[in-house]
Amino acid sequence: MIRCLRYDRIVIAAIVLCLVPAAAFAQAAGGPRMDHETTVPPTPVGPTPRTADGHPDLTGLWNGLADNLLGVPNQMHNVGIEVGPDSTRDIHSGLQIAAWPLQNRTRQNNEQNERAATLLRRMGSNRPIYKPQYWQRVKDLDANSNEEDPSNSCMPAGVPRMGPPELIVQEPGYLVFIYPGQGGLIATSNSYRMIPTDGRKHTDLEQLDGTWNGEAIGHWEGDTMVIDSIGFNSTSWFDQLGGYFHSENMHVVERLHRDGNTLSWTATVEDPDVLLEPWTTTPRVSLLNPDPQAMLPEAWPCSERDLAHTVTKEHH
Amino acid sequence: MQFKLKQTHAFATATIVIAAFAVVSFQTAGAQGNDAKANAGAKAKTAGAAAANANTSDVAKTLKVAAETLGLARWSGVGGQHLPEVDVVSTMEFWASGTTYGSGQSSKDGDPSLAFKTEYHAALGYNPPAVRLEMTRTPVQGGGAPQHTLQVVREKYAWNESEIGAGLIPGKGTATPEMAAVRSRLLQLWILPYGVIKAAVAADDKTKVTTENGATVLTFPLSGLLADVMVRATLDSENEVAKVETRTDNPALRDLITETEYSGYADHGEILTDVKSPGHILQKQSGHPVMDLQVKMWDANNPYLVFPVPDNVKKSPAS
Repeated sequence: MIRCLRYDRIVIAAIVLCLVPAAAFAQAAGGPRMDHETTVPPTPVGPTPRTADGHPDLTGLWNGLADNLLGVPNQMHNVGIEVGPDSTRDIHSGLQIAAWPLQNRTRQNNEQNERAATLLRRMGSNRPIYKPQYWQRVKDLDANSNEEDPSNSCMPAGVPRMGPPELIVQEPGYLVFIYPGQGGLIATSNSYRMIPTDGRKHTDLEQLDGTWNGEAIGHWEGDTMVIDSIGFNSTSWFDQLGGYFHSENMHVVERLHRDGNTLSWTATVEDPDVLLEPWTTTPRVSLLNPDPQAMLPEAWPCSERDLAHTVTKEHH
Repeated sequence: MQFKLKQTHAFATATIVIAAFAVVSFQTAGAQGNDAKANAGAKAKTAGAAAANANTSDVAKTLKVAAETLGLARWSGVGGQHLPEVDVVSTMEFWASGTTYGSGQSSKDGDPSLAFKTEYHAALGYNPPAVRLEMTRTPVQGGGAPQHTLQVVREKYAWNESEIGAGLIPGKGTATPEMAAVRSRLLQLWILPYGVIKAAVAADDKTKVTTENGATVLTFPLSGLLADVMVRATLDSENEVAKVETRTDNPALRDLITETEYSGYADHGEILTDVKSPGHILQKQSGHPVMDLQVKMWDANNPYLVFPVPDNVKKSPAS
């Protein structure tokens, strides 16, 4: 498990050590190297394979972009900031954002890099709208995320925070999603989901014990796999950062759509207990790993030993 | 591999040594990458052509330096070393205290009867443009009761709240439309140092740079509902926005003529961001102070600040 929390300034440089092996893992997994000159998602290439029943075949290792959460460019993309070759914009609001070419800029130390990253990860306009009585709570959770973020205590990220799966196995009647432990922004252990697609109905919510991933049931809407989940605990956060807590009445609808060698994923969060309106993530696009020998790396166990060294509120 | 921090001092020392070595290796690689990718990176353009197609122009250079000085133009080496610097300021809030003066009044002749001791809390959003201004004002003279107000603007809507978020949930407070205040409230957003840089970039080739008495001066028009307003921003010797003046020839917008001075720049956040904010704000109209504030804290960490417009405000006719 690769963990990168905010540390005491004395050891902040050690964060780099967390990232280097994480990047190495991404390469070891067979993903092509991303030269992050842009946060624009990849363009689909090739045909979309189909299973015998005519549905798109989602089976595959979807880590061709390497870790979905690792690195500022992916995190900016995940909040809707598109840095393209000709402009930078917020895809949700349409706002054009000022950008300056990278020539002649001053080299930064790690503290400067981390502080900038904290801002870059939060500059998108697509934020869930909580009921007003919870605005301060969300802000406080984010400001105190070193202590409050369940991921920082080695808890699972849960659905939908862990984003799209990296490995999908599609069988008649069910899907299997694998999420290898992620380093960097969210420290999680390996996780998996078995998602029935056999037409069954949800268990009554009252009979479900809340869990991190909830009870998921999938069905096809045209060529889009729709996964409907209920039955969550109220411990997880539902986006990569931001203090976005939820209640046990959270209802998540994920949509996965394969186009050639790309897989688009979104999640819509409904929680009438705490949200004023449903909220939908920025679409994330995964790339099929082109390496037939590619494997998922084993994640190291998560063991929290860092919070005691934290002396400021600076965070991811 | 997992990197774990032990709690012993000796291990921490070893950690620093190892990490330092890794830092050097990592940054060197990054720097080499920067060189190799310089041409590709140069393709990145700004929203405004002022900085996009004229890297050598005075306007572009001035805006870049001012944006970097403020900590508004940023990049991160955490995987983002090949991306351009971008404007990272989206939301921020600050708390200040000082003196303000009655609505539409200035301290003419230094009349203290118009002055209010003020606690000031501004929540700011640039994407979309929005402000929530909470003030508690106590008359300096006369011993009147404190007045608490919540004034909000988002894009073309302005309203007052009886409580934060009023009017969004039935039975939870009252949102009173104040459409006539849209322009004056939005103006406060664009005459802040960050608004100045953003608006100057957005004004594209309408932005001019001159040197006056040794100081760099940016002149540009605002846009949208404030299109009749010209801004003149003076940078100090450290390229910080020191003075912002607004002018308009539209008689209906005379109350938008302001002069604001900023000083005492530092990172005033509890969570440090390397975004500089002013420590002192002095605003005048017609040469008389209307607001004199000392900043207590300025959170530039893109905090969770939202400005949903209540339905009754959306249905209110525009002014």
